[in-house]
Amino acid sequence: MRPQHAKRPFSIRRLLAGGWLLLLAGAAVLAPSETIIPDLAHVSQPPFGVGHWLGTDPQGLDIWQALLQGTRTLALVSVPATLLTLLIGAGLGSAAGFLRNSGWQPTWRSLLTGLLVGLAALAQGPRLTPASGGLLVVTVGSWLLLGRFGFSRRRVALPVDTLVLGLMSLLESVPLLILVLAAAAVQRPSLGGLVLLLSLSCWTTPARLMRAVTLQVSAQPYLEAARAAGIPAARLLAAHIWPNTRHILLVRFPLTVALLIGLETTLSFLGVGLPPEVSSWGQLLATIRLAPTAWWLVAWPGLALVSTILSLHTLGRTK
Amino acid sequence: MPVLLRHTAQALVAVWLTLSALFLLSRSVTDPAAFIQSTLSANTRLDARIDQAALTQQLLRRYGLSAPLFYTSWQPAAGWRWHGTGNQYHQWLGQLLAGNLGISYRQGAPVRGLLGEALRYTLPLTLLATTGSVGLAIGMATSLGYRPRARRLVLLALHGIQSFPLFLVAVGLLLLLANPDTLAWFPAFGLGLEPESGNWGQRAGELLYHLALPVLSLVIVSLPGLVIQLDGAIQQEMTRAYVATARAKGASRRRTMRGHVLRNALLPTIALLTDLLPNLVAGSVVVEVLFALPGMGRLLAEAAATQDYPLLLGAVGLVAVVRLVAQWLTDVAYQLTDPRIRL
Repeated sequence: MRPQHAKRPFSIRRLLAGGWLLLLAGAAVLAPSETIIPDLAHVSQPPFGVGHWLGTDPQGLDIWQALLQGTRTLALVSVPATLLTLLIGAGLGSAAGFLRNSGWQPTWRSLLTGLLVGLAALAQGPRLTPASGGLLVVTVGSWLLLGRFGFSRRRVALPVDTLVLGLMSLLESVPLLILVLAAAAVQRPSLGGLVLLLSLSCWTTPARLMRAVTLQVSAQPYLEAARAAGIPAARLLAAHIWPNTRHILLVRFPLTVALLIGLETTLSFLGVGLPPEVSSWGQLLATIRLAPTAWWLVAWPGLALVSTILSLHTLGRTK
Repeated sequence: MPVLLRHTAQALVAVWLTLSALFLLSRSVTDPAAFIQSTLSANTRLDARIDQAALTQQLLRRYGLSAPLFYTSWQPAAGWRWHGTGNQYHQWLGQLLAGNLGISYRQGAPVRGLLGEALRYTLPLTLLATTGSVGLAIGMATSLGYRPRARRLVLLALHGIQSFPLFLVAVGLLLLLANPDTLAWFPAFGLGLEPESGNWGQRAGELLYHLALPVLSLVIVSLPGLVIQLDGAIQQEMTRAYVATARAKGASRRRTMRGHVLRNALLPTIALLTDLLPNLVAGSVVVEVLFALPGMGRLLAEAAATQDYPLLLGAVGLVAVVRLVAQWLTDVAYQLTDPRIRL
């Protein structure tokens, strides 16, 4: 906590960082969308030459254009993935912190109905379209059937906190890179698949932070007063807890983007990430393995990558 | 003991669930017909002229693909069907418990042998990187404690280094220090090991020489997190009264730092060690691919790239076991640092 700096949100460093990110956003919007035609007459050309001012790679691709297109891919993957990650993390984290192990007590009837519908949906698999009427039948049927038993009116405390914590420690039992690598091996992801995969495996850190803050806020006296006044749980969360916890997400946003960018370029570098026809910085960097002495293949995308991550860290740290 | 037992049980459950999920996912996307086709075309020893059907059956049985996948299955026509214990998952789990990890799809060799072979290179790599980064972190953080000006500069540099992904650091080192155009101090790839050349000492020296750049890049990447955390803890401890007492009684700065501050400051940093070793193993994936070392990381990356699922499962399971071992070491380190902590 440095009070004299906290009053000055616009330092030179933050200005530079924000400027670089704006530049990237502009490049992502303005990047040419047609496929780059390789210039086979100028293969592995050093930078500052005629026609290709950043040089070309061993296949004759112009590095400047590949960089621009890579910027668009980067924005398209990392920003949606971050939003989804933070959404999952915030949802599960605040649910775990707010409900803890006894906060949610559904009746056996609704719990079992939910379970049965979930199982039926799982058995049907992703092809929901023709038989989704069956799900409705299962829902109504089990609801009516369970209503006939006496036990189904009793309430059961669902250990939300334990479940979420268990899920987190399960995901964290293997390093992130290896988890994503293994999952990407099973089904080679498309652009959307990669977004989903990254956010499904990276949500644990924001969830942990959200859970901690929510626990902290829930213990405050004003919340006890609000509970005593009979305010319903949904309103408690929305009006009294969320305004005091959302700053965590704002701070996590740039840091999560930086983490995902690092992970995504590493995957592309290893040749497991995006499909090969989508150009990305990691893929551009991976061409160094074909031409080990062509320093310009690493210098430009590497410089861009490091400045991006550094800018995001700068924005995330001083906030 | 209960903490160790609890951590072990948790880790075992996590390993079981992770591997089962991966197994079921990978097997459910494996198409037996396409698999057989690719195996036949890859392996010219299997003559196509002999009976195709029998050969297919034999291959499917060899790789354990002939039985149904799970205890139950759902067919649109027949509904739920119960298969009993004669399914792929049950057999795989039994084999796994007996220590048999199956046969690699691509290389046709037992996975356990391949992993053991690869560990001979990955173990020195990761252990050297671990000791290097932990030792350097402690040395740097303790020597910065009483030097505020140097501390600011070093922390700034470390925050900068933190934004370099591992592969970029490794590529940069490769371009700077193993490049005939700039400085060719280190070998760019491989291990340079000829099995019968030289005595034991020469071979160890050769191994170290070839591992220098990979270890260096792993250390550079893992150092900032450790130093920043340890430095924060040291700065917090320095404001405590016992430090003033020690200095007032005439202990030198060095002695105060090493004997009093460090021990208390280490406690919150030890938690980072649980993830350090597994993260280094994950980092070895990148480093080994780049430097062409025949270790576990490259095995894992190749298995992922060629969809060699038995090998992939074995490697992921091994990494999870490494994390369990790191967890044990952390628990023990806690007790060594602070004997009041009971395990």
